[in-house]
Amino acid sequence: MPTLTEKNIKNWLLELIKPDEFNEKDPKASGVLFEAIVPQSKIREVAKGYLEQHYFLESLTAVDFAECLEIVYHFNQWGPAQRSCVKILVPKETNTAPSIASIYKSANWFEREVYDMFGAIFTDHPNLKRILLPESSDIFPLLKSFKGEPKGADVAQSLKLIQEDADGFTTQYKDTVILQDKKNSKDYYLNLGPQHPSTHGVLRVLLHLDGERVIDGQPIIGYSHRHHEKMMEIQNYVGCWPNMGRLDYVGAMSYNFGYAVLVEKAMGIQPPPRVEAIRVLTTELNRIASHLLWIGTFLLDLGAFTPFFYCFDDREKILDILEMATGERLTYDYFRFGGLDKDIPPEMVPAIKEFIPRFKARLRDYDALITKNIIFRKRTEGLGIISKESALAYGVTGPSLRASGVAFDLRRNEPYSIYPELDFNIPTRAEGDVFARYWIRTKEMEESLKIVSQIIDKIPAGEVTLGKLPKNVPKGEYYSAVEAARGSFGIYLVSDGSLNPYRIKLRTPSFSNLNAIGDMLPGCLVSDVVAVLGSIDIVLPEIDR
Amino acid sequence: MPSTFVIQEILKIILWGTIVVLFISVNALFLVWMERKVSARIQLRRGPLHVGPHGLLQTIADAVKLISKELVFPKEVDKFGYWLAPVLVFAPILSAFLIMPLGKNWIIRDLNVGFLFVFSLTNISFIGIFIAGWSSNNKYALLGSMRAVAQNISYEIPLLLSTMGVVMAAGTLQTSGLVAAQKGSWFIMTQPLAFLIFLCASLAEANRAPFDIPEAESELVAGFHTEYSGMRFALFFLGEYTAIFVSSAISATLFLGGWRGPLLPGLAWFLIKVYALVFVIMWIRWTFPRLRSDQLMGFAWKILIPFAILNVFVTACMIQFQHFFK
Repeated sequence: MPTLTEKNIKNWLLELIKPDEFNEKDPKASGVLFEAIVPQSKIREVAKGYLEQHYFLESLTAVDFAECLEIVYHFNQWGPAQRSCVKILVPKETNTAPSIASIYKSANWFEREVYDMFGAIFTDHPNLKRILLPESSDIFPLLKSFKGEPKGADVAQSLKLIQEDADGFTTQYKDTVILQDKKNSKDYYLNLGPQHPSTHGVLRVLLHLDGERVIDGQPIIGYSHRHHEKMMEIQNYVGCWPNMGRLDYVGAMSYNFGYAVLVEKAMGIQPPPRVEAIRVLTTELNRIASHLLWIGTFLLDLGAFTPFFYCFDDREKILDILEMATGERLTYDYFRFGGLDKDIPPEMVPAIKEFIPRFKARLRDYDALITKNIIFRKRTEGLGIISKESALAYGVTGPSLRASGVAFDLRRNEPYSIYPELDFNIPTRAEGDVFARYWIRTKEMEESLKIVSQIIDKIPAGEVTLGKLPKNVPKGEYYSAVEAARGSFGIYLVSDGSLNPYRIKLRTPSFSNLNAIGDMLPGCLVSDVVAVLGSIDIVLPEIDR
Repeated sequence: MPSTFVIQEILKIILWGTIVVLFISVNALFLVWMERKVSARIQLRRGPLHVGPHGLLQTIADAVKLISKELVFPKEVDKFGYWLAPVLVFAPILSAFLIMPLGKNWIIRDLNVGFLFVFSLTNISFIGIFIAGWSSNNKYALLGSMRAVAQNISYEIPLLLSTMGVVMAAGTLQTSGLVAAQKGSWFIMTQPLAFLIFLCASLAEANRAPFDIPEAESELVAGFHTEYSGMRFALFFLGEYTAIFVSSAISATLFLGGWRGPLLPGLAWFLIKVYALVFVIMWIRWTFPRLRSDQLMGFAWKILIPFAILNVFVTACMIQFQHFFK
């Protein structure tokens, strides 16, 4: 498939818009090649063009400026980073924008979030409801005009709304063929969650079932929403660090990395080599720990208890190692701008060296116990397939995308830190089923271990801090993404040069990955639902933020 | 005198009844402890340690807790069914002890129909499971009981067909006769296929992993007993562990020579064999993932039943062959 080069995309966009609305950007600092302000009426055309060129919608968000609301789209492709930033302006009086949910399926949830936080109405959106905040709330917290205390949620009101929500889902399907046949009363609705053993947090999946067969399923999120984006707006840049450990508590180190890379790029600073080595070392160890937790809980979903304990045993060793450096076992807050919180202690290196051979032996055990198990293979092969087209439309990233045969890994495609100097492979698999996603993660653990063994003997000596840095980020807009354990974690930062971020959008991978489940569930059995849900590796606090 | 006979019989019923119930309770407590210890050892843990020696009293403490809990009727359950179900699940399993030869002449009633009696009675417990799921007014419970019924219907056939070979070889349904027939060699030697089929089918009948789909906790929360708590829940639990014991006891009697063995008394051999089988069942549970419900059905209908029929056919040929050459 021929993809448009950077120049072609540019020319094509310049045909649509005035030249003064097109700004070239320095990708080294801002993370995007250019920024284009598109008229509202042409955004659907632009989105279609990007989809035709096999770009995926990486992020969709809004920024509230005094004069208007800007809706910001980031498109990127599965290859060397070619990120473009497209904007539309929404005047405060009308407050409406055209929806692109019919073009990019991932836009469905993104647009709902923008509506939820800014109150912007997307015309033609199929289901424009609040997504993260409860439906009973009447606030738009990310508007700059929002000041007051949020009203306490009314329990009775919320319960009523939950009921209405369920009824609404029923009525939504009244028109479809399934319910038109009144004699057919076999189908019913089942709430999988928010309290359920296999939703990995507080997720609710509303299942429409015929016996055990799923007709349709719809994930409902927002139960653990803490509003990190708002929190970060009212803090200074250093104060945002603890938020990074609390987004995805399973792989928190990558989130530290994402924020560090973003601000360092924006400030134009280069951390010392020792810092880079330790960052990669801890991040890769954390990635192994994250995948281990996933394998354990995924097998638990499939009804095998024992692998869980083996995985947690290994993960415990990693947590012990990371605790030596960070003092924390889960919600790491270790990186600093241009440096680290503190240097690693001397006992950490031998502990890692001891861990490497031990874990290699364990990987063989997992292979024998899980990968070669016939029941496991029968349960996972050919199930919950994500096609490339579906992955593109939903903006799926991370191991779930690589299991569909796309070698897209930001450590290679948009290199940051010392990753270009390291020798590691990007495992891919063509099937795109649940087993492929399992297989990819086991291979990624091997690759991460390879990275760790490469670095461990060659950590350069030196400082782990750059000393005093300015407290603010230069005025501008920045986008930066890193490869977290679950996919590409992007941060979009709008800085007005003050001590606080003007707007921070956290593009978390599971948000888009979970959205894709709508295509995978129909036709599954209830047993498969937990397998499919488990296989995309979701961490709810990261989705709900 | 008929009146003395009646009194004798009543006393006998009370005596044996007490012994069986006592044994079942102690056995279930021991099996729960054993399961915890076995799973712990498989999973790099140590299991209960602190209450009593090696945590032996832990399950007693748990049982006391369960007994002392309030019996709750959740809102909108069908009260009669909800009340009846645990009893219906637990009681029929007791019938197996009636015909179980625990040692030489250690048998409560040596019935002519033997195992047929047990298999027909223990099936009632599945009606109990279905009532539990239906009366709970809970979709997860209903799904669990639906699966249980489908599973029971499918696995009853290979279970009975696999015992058929043994019964044909022994020429009797009587349990004492079956043990007597294994004087020379155990039926596991002559009927290995039947043993494997029986083991698989009895795992499914006892709702044990990897066939534990009626109560698959990662899918159906707790399956058919989601809404149960306290002693009612304990009855399901007791029923499950007794069912494991009973199915192991039946396999030991059918395939491992029952109470026969050198040196030690019959009861000791019987218990050794049963607990060894129970250990195997636990080992399987803590190693394999769970099957999906349709795969479970496929396994019964496409693999177990054809092989069981093959086994019956081969056994029949062998018997005929034997007669022909004698």
